[in-house]
Amino acid sequence: MAETRSQYQEELERLEASALGGVDMVNAALDRTLEAVEHQDVELAQLVVMDDDRIDGRYLEVHQSLITLLATQSPVATDLRLISALLHVLKNVERMGDQCVNICKMIPLSGNEPPADGRMVELILSMGKQVRTIDNQAKRAFEDRNVEMAKDLVRQDDVVDKLNRECFRLALEIGDDADKREWAMTMLLAARAIERIGDNAVDIGEQVAFVVTGLFREFEDASHPTV
Amino acid sequence: MDSSHLNETATVTDPNPESRTSSEAAAGRPGPTISFGAEGGAKSLKPAREDGNVKLEELHAYYGSNHAVRGVSLGFPAGKVTAIIGPSGCGKSTMVRCINRMHEEIPGARAEGKVMLDEIDLYDPRIDIVAVRRSVGMVFQKPNPFPTMSVIDNVTAGLRLTGASRGEMDDRGREALVGAGLWDEVKDRLKGPGTGLSGGQQQRLCIARALAVNPEVMLMDEPCSALDPVATLKIEELIGELKQRVTIVIVTHNMQQAARVADTTAFMLGGELVEVGATDKLFTNPDDDRTEQYVTGKFG
Repeated sequence: MAETRSQYQEELERLEASALGGVDMVNAALDRTLEAVEHQDVELAQLVVMDDDRIDGRYLEVHQSLITLLATQSPVATDLRLISALLHVLKNVERMGDQCVNICKMIPLSGNEPPADGRMVELILSMGKQVRTIDNQAKRAFEDRNVEMAKDLVRQDDVVDKLNRECFRLALEIGDDADKREWAMTMLLAARAIERIGDNAVDIGEQVAFVVTGLFREFEDASHPTV
Repeated sequence: MDSSHLNETATVTDPNPESRTSSEAAAGRPGPTISFGAEGGAKSLKPAREDGNVKLEELHAYYGSNHAVRGVSLGFPAGKVTAIIGPSGCGKSTMVRCINRMHEEIPGARAEGKVMLDEIDLYDPRIDIVAVRRSVGMVFQKPNPFPTMSVIDNVTAGLRLTGASRGEMDDRGREALVGAGLWDEVKDRLKGPGTGLSGGQQQRLCIARALAVNPEVMLMDEPCSALDPVATLKIEELIGELKQRVTIVIVTHNMQQAARVADTTAFMLGGELVEVGATDKLFTNPDDDRTEQYVTGKFG
């Protein structure tokens, strides 16, 4: 039998690479976000906010191309599952970029004074690094169609959740000073946003399982936790 | 389908079954629609039918030494549409033509195995082939109305042999045209030539012709490949309505058509059945890698 539809297959591969490339864009935004948090760099934070248009542009461009493939190529079976998954992945990537924006928009609110609690900043930076690892793992699991690697994202994400709870504990201990408490509240929101980026990466992992098995199942059900 | 005549006639006691000829049986006179002829001990069949379930058991078909269908076992449940897909030359049309025993009409062609219509083996040597073709109607790729006949005569052509009265034929003809979704379009031109209709109307005329003799099964071999998209969609809608009355087996190269009309889809390759299953499953998550390769267009 002759190989057919090579252009369509090439286009699908190109769109997958483009959608997953969005994860790299998010990681670049996350790196700058963490640097802006660490140094309270308002200008760098503004750059992240403006640069989010690139992530949104990637979302719109790939989304439209996928819709065109659906309309013109009638994909089925694995191709159909892949396109469905990529539409989800794109949305996740777009949301991850938005979380970086959310953090960066808060940096001017944290004031120009030195951090009220250096330990909390360290925790947030640790969370950011862990989320970066999770993002990369989610991307690789998708590229390799590796369900086990995708499932392992839950374990990795647990580390982020623990760090997030630690931030919360530190915020409670920060004392009665109103400025310090405001700063801690802002940092908690930043930690929460980073934690959500990790959750979105786990969602990408769930799409890996869908592409491979044809069954969608949440790796962890927040409404019915097992632990 | 209206299978009442089958049930009724199945219980009719034929006073002299030996005297019945195959052409009489085919013509639909009182008696089972499909009956054993005199050679088979002259027993009339009393099938406990459940509305036209077809089952292939280890079916093989040959064109001379060419082994075109290789041991296919497959069921076509009553009230459902089953689509057969596969690349050209995979044996899907041959397999379908075995169901109404048209395959053997080709010189040098033969079939082995069983084709069961409910409890009747259509390849039983005692079976009446003409009766088989009445019970298992067929619609072809290209509409083929009888060129010299009017619209209504086309529809009632199969009834003419039954000795039905003109009034009865008109009633059944009208019923078949309604069933084929064509009545409103042709009611004012019933005496006009069948070939004067559009391609899509001609195909529905052929469906009406097949319906007029009350078949239990309808085989459709690429019924829309010569039609425009609107006519195609009308036939597809019609298939959805007809499946309540007849078991439908459709051979199609158009996978989207299979996805739209069929409850079950079977994929054939090299004369063998590769996979059969619920249509949505086969098109979203097939089990066999060859099916995956074919439906995604990676070969074909």
